[in-house]
Amino acid sequence: MNFQIPIGPQHPALKEPIGLRITVEGEIIRDADIRLGYNHRGIEKLAEQKTWIQNVYLTERICGICSHSHTTCYVQGVEKLMELETPKRGLYIRMLISELERIHSHLLWLGVAGHEAGFDSFFMYVWRDREIVMDILETISGNRVHYAINTIGGVRRDLDELQVKRILDSLEVLRRRSQYYLNLGTTEPSFVARLARVGYLSREDALSLCAVGPTLRASGVPMDVRKDDPYAAYDEVPFEVCTAGTCDVLGRTVVRIKELFQSYNIIEYLMKNLPTGPIAVRAPRRAKPNEVVSRYEAPRGENLHYIKSNGSDKPERLKVRAPTLGNYAATIKMLKNGFIADVPLIFAAIDPCICCAERAVALIDARTGQEKIMSLKSLKELSLKVSPTTTRKREIEWPL
Amino acid sequence: MKIGVFIPELIRHLFRTPATVDYPFKKLEVPKSFRGSPYLQPELCIVCRACERDCPAEAIEINTVKEEEKIFSLVIYNDRCIHCAQCVDSCPTKAMQMDEKFEISNFNRHNLKMDWEFVRAAVKPKAENKS
Amino acid sequence: MATVNTLIYLIIYPGLLFIFLYSTFVEWYDRKLYARLQNRMGPTHTGPSGLLQPIADFFKLMAKEDITPERADKTMFAALPPFGLAIVSTAMLLLPVWNYSLEQSSLTSFNGDIIVLLYLLSLPTFIFFLAGWSSTNLFSTIGGARVLTMLFGYEVPLFLAVLSPAVLADSWRLAEIAAFYRQQPALALVNLLGFIIALICVQAKLERTPFDIPHAETEIVGGTFTEYSGKKLAVFRLMLDVEMVVAAGLIATVFLGGFPGGPILGLINFIIKTLLVVFFLSLIRATTSRIRVDQVVSFAWKYLAPLAVLQLLIVIIVKGLIS
Ligand code: SF4
Ligand code: SF4
Repeated sequence: MNFQIPIGPQHPALKEPIGLRITVEGEIIRDADIRLGYNHRGIEKLAEQKTWIQNVYLTERICGICSHSHTTCYVQGVEKLMELETPKRGLYIRMLISELERIHSHLLWLGVAGHEAGFDSFFMYVWRDREIVMDILETISGNRVHYAINTIGGVRRDLDELQVKRILDSLEVLRRRSQYYLNLGTTEPSFVARLARVGYLSREDALSLCAVGPTLRASGVPMDVRKDDPYAAYDEVPFEVCTAGTCDVLGRTVVRIKELFQSYNIIEYLMKNLPTGPIAVRAPRRAKPNEVVSRYEAPRGENLHYIKSNGSDKPERLKVRAPTLGNYAATIKMLKNGFIADVPLIFAAIDPCICCAERAVALIDARTGQEKIMSLKSLKELSLKVSPTTTRKREIEWPL
Repeated sequence: MKIGVFIPELIRHLFRTPATVDYPFKKLEVPKSFRGSPYLQPELCIVCRACERDCPAEAIEINTVKEEEKIFSLVIYNDRCIHCAQCVDSCPTKAMQMDEKFEISNFNRHNLKMDWEFVRAAVKPKAENKS
Repeated sequence: MATVNTLIYLIIYPGLLFIFLYSTFVEWYDRKLYARLQNRMGPTHTGPSGLLQPIADFFKLMAKEDITPERADKTMFAALPPFGLAIVSTAMLLLPVWNYSLEQSSLTSFNGDIIVLLYLLSLPTFIFFLAGWSSTNLFSTIGGARVLTMLFGYEVPLFLAVLSPAVLADSWRLAEIAAFYRQQPALALVNLLGFIIALICVQAKLERTPFDIPHAETEIVGGTFTEYSGKKLAVFRLMLDVEMVVAAGLIATVFLGGFPGGPILGLINFIIKTLLVVFFLSLIRATTSRIRVDQVVSFAWKYLAPLAVLQLLIVIIVKGLIS
């Protein structure tokens, strides 16, 4: 007997709205379908109305967890457009925050994986230790989530000796705890039983479906933007790209924990070799007409921003390809022939960040069920047709 | 595979004080450089409008009250503010500052509005950059 | 006098009031313990150290809106929670705390009551299945199916494990089994394997991690309870608490020598021993992650059932040796 279960848009396993239609036969999944668009926020359009500097804070809000990834990706692009030379110290601090963010994101994921598998004690312990990283981030940047440390041409806050020492000290604890979680996660029988051989994605499938990040690396493909196309100062820092050959959720877990250790090493290197000098250069208000693509290895995979300038103080177009979008096709492949019980785990294993990936606009006719994809141009025309005279109002009392 | 690898850790923590902070009953400390809400020191403001222009949330509004007496008003709509501190960075005279308050929730968003009416500071400050 | 006694039995002890207070206390104990094992605080603010939190939760749920799905089997849907509570409360009466005398059998303690108790403990499982089935929600239906699938896994090992001490004691009466092991405490050690198996099976029966599959929140929302709300959910939750007390009491009677000593001492014994069993149950809950329903069945038949048979064999051999 086949029937369809709707997982989402509202479901306890999902932290953000997305629709998974799952066709099951008993407990076995026969088909899966992903429906996006419950949380489209129009960020790209909004970016066209904000100045270069305002957009730094806007891109930060694309994602709550990789907030630094999106700003760095954007800021790197804009720096290229404006032909700015970011000072070394600024780059190092930027990389420090990226790695801290990677640690906090991977620890967060580890906890979530535990929770999805019903292993709540693991979840609680991992998240308790994640607080160490959060506290460091808060002392450096002044906020736990939206660090707002990037600015065009560098970073906004400097590190002092005390902070450097504190970071190095807490690395000790983090290393020890991560080692413990690596042991625990790969030896606790009930947990391993849930992770091993679940959500299989072969190397060929991973490549042909354009998976990114730890999902790709867990299928044995050593692909990492930090190595392949080094940005900031990653070419100076020694580190390894972690892979796993098991192609399942357990592999993805192991890859993430191994990456934690690489991040600790990177941070240690950065802190020991912190160059002196200024942390930022002054940025102009305008950028010459040009276009640029900026790549960044976010904790979830490759993040890509395309920025086009037209000589004004605002971008003409900002296109964001968040890593999660690259993993959706692979997710469907992984879900097929699995158990219903594995849906949350498989889906969580790509570390989905759903709102970040909401970009396309598909219109579905409610009566006929026909789908239609609209181009930006026709959408613009439509909006002009609907309200031809509306201009942006500033003075209106905001909570309408 | 080991059965019950987690047990020693669990038992050890049974007799420790919990890691949780009993938050609303015990207050938390924020670090020194915490980004709270922006506020104005009106005696320093030269009404250059840099903060108004750079604020990504359009939370700052500067109005002229009396042109000839150089009286201006500056409103910070704290309900819209995203606490990014860009206004602090943009301000050439350090008239804009961040406090360290974090428990600022309110039942009515209009109560979060802060405004100042002041005479424009006369001194022309040296172009002083924070970075 | 007899009427007064009956009334006291019914309402105060071991009647509803005691059942309510003690089962909520056990829930608090379980929650607090689980939290402390995870380095958290657990309930803190309702009553001293949050003791009253389960009661507050119960009354809060009682006051909430009670929704019955349009397409549900309404009579069944509404009748199941009180019915389930009644079943587990009846089972509670059979625990030999002080309402028995060893010499003669009575309504609450008779030859064969261990079978009746096990049977009464099986019924809640069917109640859950019916609850899932009658709410007609997709998630509930899957939950209901999982309840039954799991039942096939753990029920046989549970029966084997609980009955083997009875075989050794040569009695089908709980009070006598307990008395037998009190006289020969060394023999209780023979049942160690059975004790562990029974703990695991009871964990599965109570649907707690690693066996919380029928209402695995991240997979099938509330599972069997998805459509339940308000009073009915409150009664269901109370029922689960009482079931936990009864199951802990059963294990304590059969494996830990029961609750001797008349009303006061017996009660203290009862509390200490059930809390000990609940401690083990909480520890299992904290140590493991939820497994899949197919893994439950294969685990039960690959490991639990053979081990339970082994336990039975040991018991038979030991019995042959001592007699
Ligand atoms: S902190 Fe940011 S959002 Fe708030 S007023 Fe200043 S610039 Fe605007
Ligand atoms: S607060 Fe600072 S930036 Fe804003 S108008 Fe006054 S002087 Fe200019």
